[in-house]
Amino acid sequence: MKRMNQTTMRRLISIGMLLILILLFTILAGAGKGKFLNFDNLIEVVRDASIPTIIGVGVTYIIITAGIDLSTGSMMALVGMTMANIYAYTLLPFSVMIIAGLIVGLLCGLFNGIIVAKFNVPEFIATLATMSIFRALTYIIAIKDQNGVIKSQPMNHSQYAWLGGGIGKFYFVIMAMIVVVIIGQIVLKHTRYGTNLYAVGASKKAATLSGINVAKTRMIAYVITGLMVAIGAVFTTARLQSATTAIGMDFEFNPIAAAVVGGVALSGGSGDVIGTLIGALFMATLENGVRKLSINTAFQYVIKGAIIIGVVIFDATYKARMDRKAKEQGAKEGLE
Amino acid sequence: MAGNTILEAKGIYKSFSGVPVLQNVNFEVKAGEVHALMGENGAGKSTLIKIITGVYTKDDGQIYWEGKPVEINSYQDCQKLGVACIYQELSVIPPLTVAQNVYLGREPRKGPFIDFAKMNQMTQELIDRYQFPLKPTTVVDNLGIGQRQLIEILKGLSQDSKLLIMDEPTASLSGKEAEMLFRIIQKLRSEGVSIIYISHRLEEVYMLSDRLTILRDGKNAAVLEKKDIIPAKVIETMIGKVVDESAGSRKMLHSDDKAEVRLDVKNLTDKTDRYRNISFQVHRGEILGLGGLIGAGRTEVVRAIYGVDQAVSGEVYLDGKKLNPSPKASILEGIGFVPEDRRNQGFIPLLSTTKNVALTNYDIVKVNGTTISDADELAMSKRAIEAIDIRPSDPNKQVGVMSGGNQQKVVIGKWLMRDLKLLIVDEPTAGIDVGAKDEIYSILEDLAKQGVAIIVVTSDLQELLRVSHRILVMRKGDIVKEFKNVEVTQSMVLSAGQGVEEEAK
Repeated sequence: MKRMNQTTMRRLISIGMLLILILLFTILAGAGKGKFLNFDNLIEVVRDASIPTIIGVGVTYIIITAGIDLSTGSMMALVGMTMANIYAYTLLPFSVMIIAGLIVGLLCGLFNGIIVAKFNVPEFIATLATMSIFRALTYIIAIKDQNGVIKSQPMNHSQYAWLGGGIGKFYFVIMAMIVVVIIGQIVLKHTRYGTNLYAVGASKKAATLSGINVAKTRMIAYVITGLMVAIGAVFTTARLQSATTAIGMDFEFNPIAAAVVGGVALSGGSGDVIGTLIGALFMATLENGVRKLSINTAFQYVIKGAIIIGVVIFDATYKARMDRKAKEQGAKEGLE
Repeated sequence: MAGNTILEAKGIYKSFSGVPVLQNVNFEVKAGEVHALMGENGAGKSTLIKIITGVYTKDDGQIYWEGKPVEINSYQDCQKLGVACIYQELSVIPPLTVAQNVYLGREPRKGPFIDFAKMNQMTQELIDRYQFPLKPTTVVDNLGIGQRQLIEILKGLSQDSKLLIMDEPTASLSGKEAEMLFRIIQKLRSEGVSIIYISHRLEEVYMLSDRLTILRDGKNAAVLEKKDIIPAKVIETMIGKVVDESAGSRKMLHSDDKAEVRLDVKNLTDKTDRYRNISFQVHRGEILGLGGLIGAGRTEVVRAIYGVDQAVSGEVYLDGKKLNPSPKASILEGIGFVPEDRRNQGFIPLLSTTKNVALTNYDIVKVNGTTISDADELAMSKRAIEAIDIRPSDPNKQVGVMSGGNQQKVVIGKWLMRDLKLLIVDEPTAGIDVGAKDEIYSILEDLAKQGVAIIVVTSDLQELLRVSHRILVMRKGDIVKEFKNVEVTQSMVLSAGQGVEEEAK
């Protein structure tokens, strides 16, 4: 009997989880009322999943190398606030503002990458520290009123408003997500860099022996994440038409949760971008459904947290079992 | 078959902190031969290999590759020459395919993208050429250890390696997997690839190798041609005939059958078949030596007795009482366990002697209300220090910074604080200097005199003979031989472990 690939199996499981959740909400919300299962609402779900997915592409790369990035939420705020400053205090064109935002994202990512890959600071601590630094910098450069009180900076630019919308219900952020996911998946599966990410995550020693530059591979993953965060920040501020210091507060949880639910193991070496997309859709569906059912939103966080713990436990036990099976099977077959 | 010399190491010297490990060692491999490297533990095999692969730097001597002197300072240097080492600890990447692993870091590309078609085809060609039972597109996740090992071999071959080094390649393979590996080794040889084959298993060496170099105590003991590879002779050379005749290498065993049985092990069988149907007894005051090759299942058996790992079936009785397989239950019943990997499993390096001694004894340390009595804890560790002469005698000293011998005394010392019935020690003197070894032996002997039953697992034959009252030898998961009330020599034990006891004597 042909054994199913572990990766394929895990993919089917995450798709199954998503479908079950959709089915559950459809039934609970009542089919007749069209509360949950209708086109407008589903598009809303996809729109909500877009930014976690875009940032999730970078975070997926990082987690595949067995790293983590806790600073994405704060980084998003810093990028947003940089753009707000350019909008408020200069007459520079819209495009320059966006490019400046992207550069800030890249630099934040590079900063994380250098600390982690060059100075070997454990990822968790390094990005926990930069989470604090990026958020603090956001407050420092925040736009204040005459009394020195931080205010929300409106960004009412017509082009910007356009970017926050879309063609009908087909929002630009969704298109951006699709493009990023396609490119992200191709890079991961069809380039040397993508292969190196898996190798580094599975065994840094083996990767080094194969001539892979481990530090560079890890660093680039953080830089890519910085860029993805900046793209996320552009769409967030465009949708809100303003920038505040609270942007991205507690947001770092979302791309990590998406990746984990989608099968990117925190121990590194497995998962892909498509999985993260499914995970982000799952989390967005959960949020939406809970809202539609008028369940106390506080419960949403309990459910999210519980699901993450459940998935991680499942992955760990499942992986251990599959590995043992593969070994036993291999030993039994004698590789005929 | 075998042609010119491909690799030659001449007059290699190496010492670690003043202790010579290799002395004037010569080693030569010809093109297209399987050259086995044998020797007891500590004979210098792995040090020699690490010098050849650039992991260690030699103190003196010269390495020649195809007749030219070469300097090998890193594994990359040795790869460039065409030497590939198949590590015991496999370095394949599970989420990638066979082909991706073989060409990791060297993938053929079309523009920025990996050319999968070409890569799979190149891998298929290699597979066909050497007849490996693999497919380029299989994800490694789904493969057994044996197949993963083949990927490493393929990786070496894809880099046009002319010499493969295999260090105990069959250690974690099943019988069928090993057979497949042997077929492949023979195929490789016929293709002109040289192989350095390091193994403890004489039957494999006997079957596969064209020549055999034996190291003993860091020196060349012999280079044997195929026709001279006779098990008895190999064992004799490994141990050294002179040594075998000398005192300490033969011993008259005495055990007292009439003493009451303390430990009774019945039909212990492992879930993954690392040992099966293990039954034996240990008597009051008896030191039972458990010999055999590394990987014979000895450590697994004693871990199951202590209850760290659980056997799938079988029972263990201590003084007639059936034991629950758990470390906690074992401790409460009076079993002490001194594990093989001292640093990681035996003690907590950052804690003091006091804390390490107290760790397994908190049930008997006095309490003040709800907190541990520091005074009693300290008094206990002072008793341990006194009982087995731990130096430094400062109970607050971190155990991690002590010498190996004193660390081991701390590990043993904590068990002496209890009413001990059975003590299990696994490789008790590995990495410990001679003086401390003797002290540890006398501690064990004293304990036995007090009626404690002791199991000593050791790969050091001299040690096995020195401490044991009775010896059981394990081989591939079975007890194959018992030496009881007879005169026994190192060769006899080694032969039993190798499965050649008949021819050897």
